[in-house]
Amino acid sequence: MNGYRMGYVERSSILHRLDGLSKLLFLLLYLAAVIITERVAGFLLLAAVLLLCARLGEVPYRTVVGGLWQLRFFFLLIFLMNFSFFDAEHAFFSWWIFSFSREGLFFGAKMVVRVICAVAAGNLFTAVTTPVAMTGAMETLLHPLQWIGVPTRDVAMILGVAIQFVPLFLREADTIKMAQTARGAPFTSRKLTERIGCVLPLVIPVFLSAFKRADELACAMEARGYVRKKGRLPLRKRTFYKADFLCVCGGAALCILAILVF
Amino acid sequence: MMKLSYVKKAILTAACVALCVVLPMAFHAIPNAGSIYCPMHIPVLLCGLICGAPFGLLCGLLGPLASALITQMPPMAYLPPMLVELAVYGLVAGLLMGVIKTKHLYADLYGSLVVAMVAGRIVAGAAKALIFAPGKITLAAWAGAYFVTALPGIALQLALIPSIVVALEKAKLIPARYPKKKTA
Repeated sequence: MNGYRMGYVERSSILHRLDGLSKLLFLLLYLAAVIITERVAGFLLLAAVLLLCARLGEVPYRTVVGGLWQLRFFFLLIFLMNFSFFDAEHAFFSWWIFSFSREGLFFGAKMVVRVICAVAAGNLFTAVTTPVAMTGAMETLLHPLQWIGVPTRDVAMILGVAIQFVPLFLREADTIKMAQTARGAPFTSRKLTERIGCVLPLVIPVFLSAFKRADELACAMEARGYVRKKGRLPLRKRTFYKADFLCVCGGAALCILAILVF
Repeated sequence: MMKLSYVKKAILTAACVALCVVLPMAFHAIPNAGSIYCPMHIPVLLCGLICGAPFGLLCGLLGPLASALITQMPPMAYLPPMLVELAVYGLVAGLLMGVIKTKHLYADLYGSLVVAMVAGRIVAGAAKALIFAPGKITLAAWAGAYFVTALPGIALQLALIPSIVVALEKAKLIPARYPKKKTA
């Protein structure tokens, strides 16, 4: 389980050094541009921007587009749904409830390209942003929700602690798995029933050890006087450099181009 | 009865969110385990039962989101209906645990659990039919995906979750719901 691919790719590139908030804003603006764009040239530009960002972030291209193959049936479904139901009036071939039209063909292809761009951009974002930076950026973006009573700081704290817990719990699950293997549990058996039988006894010990860790952390936080109150300051102050402004401006420029040109 | 403090509830919720990421990885060795065994549902239901409705709701929203961000599972396209389903599980399980008080721990747990599981599936089906895939989901497809395919997962949840709660109470990691009165 430790070898499982987590999204983040550790490098010291320009993109990795950017603030999480600027990268998140760029992602949102990029997604807006993806939704607005209608022409092929626009999609080519967006794909080129994505590849350039992957190059700047020193992220292998297979990381950016790797997960897309798993979604092939989903893409096929989107395409077929749009192709076969889009326009009944101008259909060149109709059968039962299906109407295949030229417009439907283009619209289906456009929808698939949009989803591919969005998924690839999401992959790139997770590859160049640490989970902690993501949490911090989300906290800042969610901040206005505080005005309607949503405890955004607590939500961010929970998400931050959860992300810190993940590798710890993975290690503990691995330890329990090794202990079970030492007792003869056939984790690598070819029989599916045996593999299922091995996974189930993992669950209760994993929960017990996770809750024990959580209990210790909660006690430590209470002992150090952790309270819910306004005015608590973050450990590291957010710094927005020139590159961060450039990143957000780049996203905004893409969006404006999509509205005016593409 | 000693109650869980706010900080402890928050940290237990964080642990459940982390388990929403870790458990599906543990089940990864089994093909198609996500839709059959629904491993992500267990921590969310547990969080609702132990920490209450607001934290259950939060766990239901943050669990799949964290998993999608860290492991790209579930894919972003499947995330919205899953968020709705899991949020309802956590919310309803927490609400019912506050309402149902039969003086029998297992009766409280099973009552809350079964209603939450049914409510989550109904709301997720309705959300798919009305918002996420309007006109593309039939009653048979909904029943097939949420009850027939997930039958092993439902059985697993009904067997495991009350046992985990009892084990946590015995380990004194959560306060006892019905503490035994000490005799003099």
